[in-house]
Amino acid sequence: MNCAECRDNLVACLEGLLDTEQARQCRAHLETCAACRAECASVTGLQQRLAASGRVAAEVSLVEPVMRRVRQQQLGPERNTLMNLLFRNRWGFGLGAAAGAAALVLIVFLVSPRTQASAAEVLARGAKAVSKLSSIHLRGQLRTAPQDNFSYINPDLDFVTVELWKQFEPELKWRVEKPARVAVMDGQSTLLFIRTANLAMRVPRPSQSAFDTEWLHEMADPSETLTNELTAIKAHGWPVTLKREQGADGNPKSVITIEAKSGLPDSDYLKNKFFMTADTRRVYVFDDQTKLLESVRIYLHATSGEVLIFELQQIDYNRPIDPAVFQFELPKNVNWYQLEMQKLPDNEKYASMTAAQAARAYFEAFGRGDWTEAEKFRRSPVDEATKQTVSGLEIVSLGQSFTSAASPEAQFVPYEIKLEGGRVIKHNLALKKDPATGRWFVDGGGF
Amino acid sequence: MDLNDKEQVERCRDGHPEDFGLLVGRYQKPLFSYLAGRLGDRLQAEEAAQESFVRAFLSLKKLRKPESFYSWLLGIAGRVAKEQFRAAGHRQRDCEAAEVMMAEAGDSRSDYPLEQAIAVLPESYRHVILLRFYEGLSCQEVATRLELPLGTVTKTLSRAYALLRQELEIREGAEQTVNQPDNHELR
Repeated sequence: MNCAECRDNLVACLEGLLDTEQARQCRAHLETCAACRAECASVTGLQQRLAASGRVAAEVSLVEPVMRRVRQQQLGPERNTLMNLLFRNRWGFGLGAAAGAAALVLIVFLVSPRTQASAAEVLARGAKAVSKLSSIHLRGQLRTAPQDNFSYINPDLDFVTVELWKQFEPELKWRVEKPARVAVMDGQSTLLFIRTANLAMRVPRPSQSAFDTEWLHEMADPSETLTNELTAIKAHGWPVTLKREQGADGNPKSVITIEAKSGLPDSDYLKNKFFMTADTRRVYVFDDQTKLLESVRIYLHATSGEVLIFELQQIDYNRPIDPAVFQFELPKNVNWYQLEMQKLPDNEKYASMTAAQAARAYFEAFGRGDWTEAEKFRRSPVDEATKQTVSGLEIVSLGQSFTSAASPEAQFVPYEIKLEGGRVIKHNLALKKDPATGRWFVDGGGF
Repeated sequence: MDLNDKEQVERCRDGHPEDFGLLVGRYQKPLFSYLAGRLGDRLQAEEAAQESFVRAFLSLKKLRKPESFYSWLLGIAGRVAKEQFRAAGHRQRDCEAAEVMMAEAGDSRSDYPLEQAIAVLPESYRHVILLRFYEGLSCQEVATRLELPLGTVTKTLSRAYALLRQELEIREGAEQTVNQPDNHELR
């Protein structure tokens, strides 16, 4: 093989695509030709750089946010800014029309453009009042598990306190916290810490929102939230009412109620389990004098009836936030969540499993107390509390995996297991495929 | 068995819009990486990638060659990136015009110098590089996805590497020059 032939075949050779004889000739030429060796080293270096860069991109996860927007678009394609909507002729009013309607107690359903207009006007004033925030602090109560995902909701659970501190200037920083879970963005990196599992994850860059705190961040940007709500009302035909009433402080209040739909069918497994997959009634209360949003209540339309799942009780606008709020010291023995799974010597064995097979192998490893094996299906180490709970478990049954339109990347495997003490747990294990290794990892619904 | 792009697009058009999520999953990494190269900022790239997918979904019925979904999607992303860039330029015109122009010209301070170099490759090379390294496909899988002979994929990669190295040398060389003392003062 001469230099020209070697260079023609170099990529195929490096990719292992040449037949044995061609590959041998290519390697033999490289051994004797310094120029082609240098070319080969240069190509290999670039390939390694590209591969490393590709692994970083593997953290990107757009399926859920895109599909959420797609579902919204299916319900109604128009999206626009609040101001554009307000000033369109079809709304039949301008901001100047606001004062005349102020004293009325008005309840009209969506079909009336007048209600849309009045509600839009209140929302617009609220949005304008908070359009130049330097900081915001929100404190509310959410029916959820203290350690679980920030957007997880469950009408059967008690309320826990959820708080958000957000500084917009001079540098964006934020913190979201509930009793056993905290997320902090200090301007440089974004940290998640789950107290009960002593587990942390750090993304080495700042972020607008992360770790499923998006719904609370939206509330922290009332201008954006209210714009979105108004757009959704119009696009989806969601029922909306506007009521004016006297507040406990004697000031007149505008109360806007919106019936929001997730767009998911009732049969979807994730329906009503997370904020963005729930059918809810949202009640916004504005003070008519300050024009500011004062409180938010969100009710879930559960099968058992309507349940209050979130109540925003305190909103502080533009109050200085103690810089210590955005600092967080982790315990020294903290476990770290792995952002990247490592390929195993026998990786193919795991990559070729179905979700149900992976679930079985995971639970069987737990049963044997084989933590090394179990961790091949996880992005975090098995903590001591989990080890004590699951050691010796028996699989009672595993069902066929299924999917949810709210999270098309995930497979859910129904399972029933019996713990050593006799307790039976019946649930669905959520598994996702790690893009770099092709292996399933547990993403919820289990331990 | 996974459906190919043509089958997947047809399924979305045929009353299964939720299956669009599979196309998003398939192309999110190459699309994001391309946009990161164009915009030089992760948050902007994520935002633009979401917008590109949503626009693609809304225009899916207009796509004449469903088998060309990937290159069509990258075309949409290019337009979204331009719009975002213009919008950013407009917002910052008064105070940060110089910085915006530097970003447009391939500012070496971007978080994504390699992706910037990929973004300026001719389309056919860019498509193959993104699928090979950002989607993580093997050469054979790239060939199947793009309906090209395997030999064409390896030749395209070979040429793409050469162009990329050239581009990176220019960019990284320029950065080194900027960081050197001014030659005029040394004379």
